Amino acid sequence: METNFIIAGFGGQGVLLAGTVLANAFMIEGKNVTWYPCYGAEMRGGTVNCEIVVSDTEVSSVHKQDTDFALVLNQQSFDKFVQRVKSGGTIVANSTLVAESRPRSDIKYVFAPMTKIANDMGNGKVTNVVSLGVLSSVCKIVSKDFLAKGVEKVLGEKKKSLLPLNLKALENGAASLALV
Amino acid sequence: MQQIFSKPKSMKKDFRYTFCPGCDHGIAIRLIGEVIDELGVREEIISSTSVGCSVFLYDFLDIDAVEAPHGRALASATGVKRARPDKVVFTYSGDGDFASIGLAESMHTALRGENITAFCINNTTYGMTGGQLGPTTLMGQKTTTSPTGRNKDYYGYPIKIAEHIALCDGTAFSARVSLDTVANINKAKQAIKKAFQVQLEGKGFGFVEILSSCPTNWHMTPEEAHERVRNEMMPVFPLGVFKEI
Amino acid sequence: MTTEKVLIKGNYAIAQAAVNAGCQCYFGYPITPQTEIGEYLSGKMQELGRAYVCAESELGAINMVMGAVSTGVKAMTSSSSCAVALMQEALSYAASDELPVVLVNVMRTGPGLGYIYPAQGDYNQAVYGGGNGDYKIIVLAPSTVQECVDLTYRAFYLAQKYRNPVILLADGLLGQMMEPASFGEYPYPEVDVSGWALTGAKGREARKIYSVAPDEKKQIQHIYDLHKKFEVIAENETTYEEFNIDDAEIVLTAFGSMTRNIKAAMNVLRSKGIKAGCFRPVTLSPFPHNRISELALKGKDFAVVEMNMGQMFKDVKYAVDGKSKVDLINRPCGEWLSVEEIVAGVERVMQGGKAYAANI
Repeated sequence: METNFIIAGFGGQGVLLAGTVLANAFMIEGKNVTWYPCYGAEMRGGTVNCEIVVSDTEVSSVHKQDTDFALVLNQQSFDKFVQRVKSGGTIVANSTLVAESRPRSDIKYVFAPMTKIANDMGNGKVTNVVSLGVLSSVCKIVSKDFLAKGVEKVLGEKKKSLLPLNLKALENGAASLALV
Repeated sequence: MQQIFSKPKSMKKDFRYTFCPGCDHGIAIRLIGEVIDELGVREEIISSTSVGCSVFLYDFLDIDAVEAPHGRALASATGVKRARPDKVVFTYSGDGDFASIGLAESMHTALRGENITAFCINNTTYGMTGGQLGPTTLMGQKTTTSPTGRNKDYYGYPIKIAEHIALCDGTAFSARVSLDTVANINKAKQAIKKAFQVQLEGKGFGFVEILSSCPTNWHMTPEEAHERVRNEMMPVFPLGVFKEI
Repeated sequence: MTTEKVLIKGNYAIAQAAVNAGCQCYFGYPITPQTEIGEYLSGKMQELGRAYVCAESELGAINMVMGAVSTGVKAMTSSSSCAVALMQEALSYAASDELPVVLVNVMRTGPGLGYIYPAQGDYNQAVYGGGNGDYKIIVLAPSTVQECVDLTYRAFYLAQKYRNPVILLADGLLGQMMEPASFGEYPYPEVDVSGWALTGAKGREARKIYSVAPDEKKQIQHIYDLHKKFEVIAENETTYEEFNIDDAEIVLTAFGSMTRNIKAAMNVLRSKGIKAGCFRPVTLSPFPHNRISELALKGKDFAVVEMNMGQMFKDVKYAVDGKSKVDLINRPCGEWLSVEEIVAGVERVMQGGKAYAANI
């Protein structure tokens, strides 16, 4: 069983870091996982994205043509990746910056105001972690508990002071759909 | 019986120079050998030499040596020195090697202030390949690739190496010397020694540009060639110490 | 050191493995997609009191490595494609001088400047070399981040064991991706270099490491000796992986990070009833000609899958020597051939179709 995720946004939204947290969570859970970024010139100004593949067996290919889940934090990313979601797959979008639209009828749509949730917490920078919380509430194989461990691992000793804020962001993201 | 003359100990016992008659490479290498003896560092030395007539240094000095491709002696020496900072490292190049194909490596080694000593033989031509125009070929000089003489429109200008190296902040010593007279040979030896001493004291890059004759490619007798060093080269490439800290 | 798994980029894995292997000096010049190697080592080497130089160019970097390894220490440089091209002259010297140079090439797209997206277009450059004269380099091609660690260790060991340059041939995909990997301890013994390393001629004859040979007979013998040495390397060090090979009718063959994709394609083909197997050289030089030859004699066909215009393809064809069919499934660069594209390509060539190159 193999599942893949694309996380995308604009530079500075922390999408590569969100992907790193997700990949760490899977690794801690004992799964095979790969993380592959778009890299280079695109990193300045345009959209940034990374792709995470998780598998019970060896990961087949790290960069795929389509995706089971797309987690998109800005409009450009929505427009680009909505076309790459597999039929029956899910796009999870940041409705603070993405207009709610449903251009395809064969995929699921989840909209949550991720940037607003982060801003309400007093720190827009945790939008990426909020987005992972949202993802965990709509994707069975993404566990909030392992995401918490992933966050802890990525922050490490140096940034341990930021852990409570990030755990709260995860919680608020996961709870946001219930509030809608 | 008192022995009053011998070859330097750091030179091979059975060597015979294979340079052309009247070439100054032999004098320069011998001076380096004498200085190595006087500083007592033969067993601490690793040298790097690249391509040109200078490559024959291996055949005459009895010291550890690694070759480098043409122009890369200073990069190679940087590697040696960084790997073994306790060793004494020097390079020996021609002007084409040091200041044309290897200019980037040479200048950046000086800019980094590597504790390395470098010698550059300036004879205004590519000697080994038979006398072509090089980075130090004088204005008006005829070579096999400047048959009507060097002119600015076609060939540009010669480089003043010692002055350029002196401009680098990492340079501890930069001088230009000549081997045309006994007095100048003695001064050259002092400069060679100084260039080693700044390395031993950890002060930075030590450099000596050595004006040399190339009678074969200049189509001159050895005496005429030294006259040319004095009359034509020195006005363009003045002798002296350009930096000393 | 620990056997705990960490999620790490291929580039950082190579860099940390070099540290663990005892690499004393790193010399490098930035180029995407391998710059993280130099960035990581710049801090690490200073912290450990080892040497790090931001070289003036790739020419400078590789020649600094040559100087450093001539003194018996382990040293490396890393670069990518068009900049590795600048190092070819030095590799020829290093092979002739028998210097244990370690060079990491994280391949990008060529020819020329090309671009930063991944490719496998430097197979020929690494295996056949761009330097002059008859010389051979050991080339190792990792397929996962874990192998970036394992084969970096092996690169340092083989370089010193055989006094021969080694290229670790990775690609931009592998350099940039993250995957769990564990480092463990450097698993090889330290090689005794005291018989040849330059340390200053203290209490012994002076040593010269150089390739200039005015004596023709000596030069002839030297080249023979280098090639005899490589025969020993081929005998001892040729390594490859194979999967489901015994009953395979068609053998998907790839190197580097494409290996993952052919394994997945093999599984898809098997589920469709096609007897597919996988073959993957770990050492591209020495190349496992003998094994491929054996498999060809058993009547197994080959489909070579690579991100270039058929560079390893030629070596497989040479090994197969007309005994079975060899096809190429390829794209020159960019997005790795997907499992679906490989499966479609294999089905096409099995039906006698032409070699499959996307967009041609």
